[in-house]
Amino acid sequence: MSSVFRISRLSALLLFAAAVAMPSGEVLAKEIVLGASVQLTGPVANTGRYYRDAYQLAVDRINAAGGVKIGNDSYKLALKLYDNQSDVNLSVRQYTQLVSQDKVDFLLGPFASNFALADSAVSEKYRIPMVQGGGASDQIFSRGFKFIFGTLAPASNYFGSTIEMLKGLDPAPKSVALLYADDAFDVSVAEGTRPKLKKAGLTLVMDERYSTNATDFSSLLSQIKSKNIDAVLVAGHETEILNFVRQAKSLAVAPKMYSFTVGVPSEDFRKALGTDADYAFGMTAWLPSADLKDRWFGDAAQFAAVYKAKFGYDPDYHAASGVADVEVLVQAAEMAGSTDPAKVRDALSKVKFDSLYGPVEFNESGQIDLPQTVIQVQGDRLVAIYGGNRKIAPPKYPMPAWDVR
Amino acid sequence: MDLLAQVLVNGMLLGGLYAVMALGLALVWGVLNIVNLAHGAFIMLGGYLSWYLYTYAGIDPFLGLPLTAVVMFAVGYGVQRGLLNLIVRAPMFNTLLVTFGIEVVLTYLAQLAFSADFRTINPSYVGDSIALGTVVLPVSRLLAFGIAILLTVSMWLFLLRTRLGRAIRATAQNLVAARLYGVEPRHLYAMTFGIGIALAGAAGGLYGTVSQINPYIGAALTAKSFAISIIGGLDNPLGVIVGGLFLGILESLTALYIGSTFSDVASFGVLVLVLIVRPTGLLGKAA
Repeated sequence: MSSVFRISRLSALLLFAAAVAMPSGEVLAKEIVLGASVQLTGPVANTGRYYRDAYQLAVDRINAAGGVKIGNDSYKLALKLYDNQSDVNLSVRQYTQLVSQDKVDFLLGPFASNFALADSAVSEKYRIPMVQGGGASDQIFSRGFKFIFGTLAPASNYFGSTIEMLKGLDPAPKSVALLYADDAFDVSVAEGTRPKLKKAGLTLVMDERYSTNATDFSSLLSQIKSKNIDAVLVAGHETEILNFVRQAKSLAVAPKMYSFTVGVPSEDFRKALGTDADYAFGMTAWLPSADLKDRWFGDAAQFAAVYKAKFGYDPDYHAASGVADVEVLVQAAEMAGSTDPAKVRDALSKVKFDSLYGPVEFNESGQIDLPQTVIQVQGDRLVAIYGGNRKIAPPKYPMPAWDVR
Repeated sequence: MDLLAQVLVNGMLLGGLYAVMALGLALVWGVLNIVNLAHGAFIMLGGYLSWYLYTYAGIDPFLGLPLTAVVMFAVGYGVQRGLLNLIVRAPMFNTLLVTFGIEVVLTYLAQLAFSADFRTINPSYVGDSIALGTVVLPVSRLLAFGIAILLTVSMWLFLLRTRLGRAIRATAQNLVAARLYGVEPRHLYAMTFGIGIALAGAAGGLYGTVSQINPYIGAALTAKSFAISIIGGLDNPLGVIVGGLFLGILESLTALYIGSTFSDVASFGVLVLVLIVRPTGLLGKAA
């Protein structure tokens, strides 16, 4: 080995070290890193993608508009995203990694209540604020945690507006069936729904819990038919509700109305069911209305157009809620004039602003309160029926038998 | 009373679908001694194949089943010949690992290729039903049930009567003797696995007409097929039908009388019971 070679290797090493030590322009720009673990693969990937796309779109948009202004400095947003493969345990490990190793500044949420329930323990432990738009269960906010904020309307009130609507229908429904999956979100929905039904004077004839990921609903449907139930309220997941509707058709079970907590607002769900989606009621806390003004996107209608153009599918409330999560963190950081987690946390608890998702403001426990608008599939359109204690459009009611549709 | 009759019918029809799903798994398990953990993933692939044939080529899902089965047979033959034959005599743990690996790869490839969107095979008539008095018979499940019986009986006759079927049974019973009589095990194993996967493919097509397909349905279907195979026994395709019907009816009655959340408790409880009391299955020969 010649000494020339050795020297050149040494100098190369020095050069490299110098290059690393020399701060480049990129590194100098101040950054706020948002971390999240989202379901990009696995059984819930279908909804997880809303959050990936919403976070990315919001970050890009805010950066394009000059980023975050804290004091006299301007910060760029960066996103650190992991795929939790729809596995709760993995998501907890990833959030731990995000705060302990990646040292992200703030956390954005995963999808679904059972994930948010577990992952919020990480944000609480490390005292890093997490704003999440994927978990609506009231359980998430009933533990006195200080660092978790949620932008999804409370699960306990999902059927609130639907029950208000039921009272005004003609012929009035009398008997109700409540079916719900055995997970955090759906159990919260059921617990919130029971007293509301009672108050409205409706009789709860069937109150049945079923296993998450159940595929066969024929026994439950046969009971609905045999008890001649008027209104069926189902709190579950999209796959279960797809099976429920298909099996209702094949068993010729047609109550006067049925309503589902999820699925109806999502384009993919309606596509999978085709014409069988007709008459299904659902709810959403968000519709892409031009009345919802936004600092970065103009308004919700413009946001929906940009989103669709970029990702090729329509946003629903999951996506809007995800964008609101990024926006609310930016608002809070600007309000606090700092990126200090504790100061931003305090700002979050006081934040109040209008966004494309609606007015954002958290209560004591960190949860937003948004009313649900009842929606219904009518032909190939999704129609807003009832919201804010008033009728918006006439519902198609009662649902006709399957063989005369 | 009407309700009970309806629920019993529901359970029977569900059982037929279960049987078709488990048939291929039981065959492969019985003959090759491979518990194919990728079985559900192959059902999923068969579902997508049927969906594509229906959506883009307009081929009726029930008429298209033979085509799906032929394609899936080729896939199965290739997988056995190129991969599983290398480990067919290795300890069972290795075959579990390899088939588990195949399941993971197929599932994630499926998400890349087909996205996580839900697919349903939904020709106009599949939601129809026939009313028999107060009992309603769903057409799609009735068809699936009929096909399940047809496939099981043909499997049974095939194993009993045809030369290939006898060779498969001979190999399962005594490999050395079968080889002495001129059976070429590599080809035979691949044929068997191919048939198993063809059955899985057909089951996938049927599944798509009554439920929904996404890349992640496989694991749960493997578990169900596994339970049915154990309950029914591996000796005989008729056992699989019995296992499927038993499980379908059991789950439906549990949902009616105890509660929906207990359906899985009941089916896996029975699985454990069968393993203790009759390890060769309900129809199996006493060991």
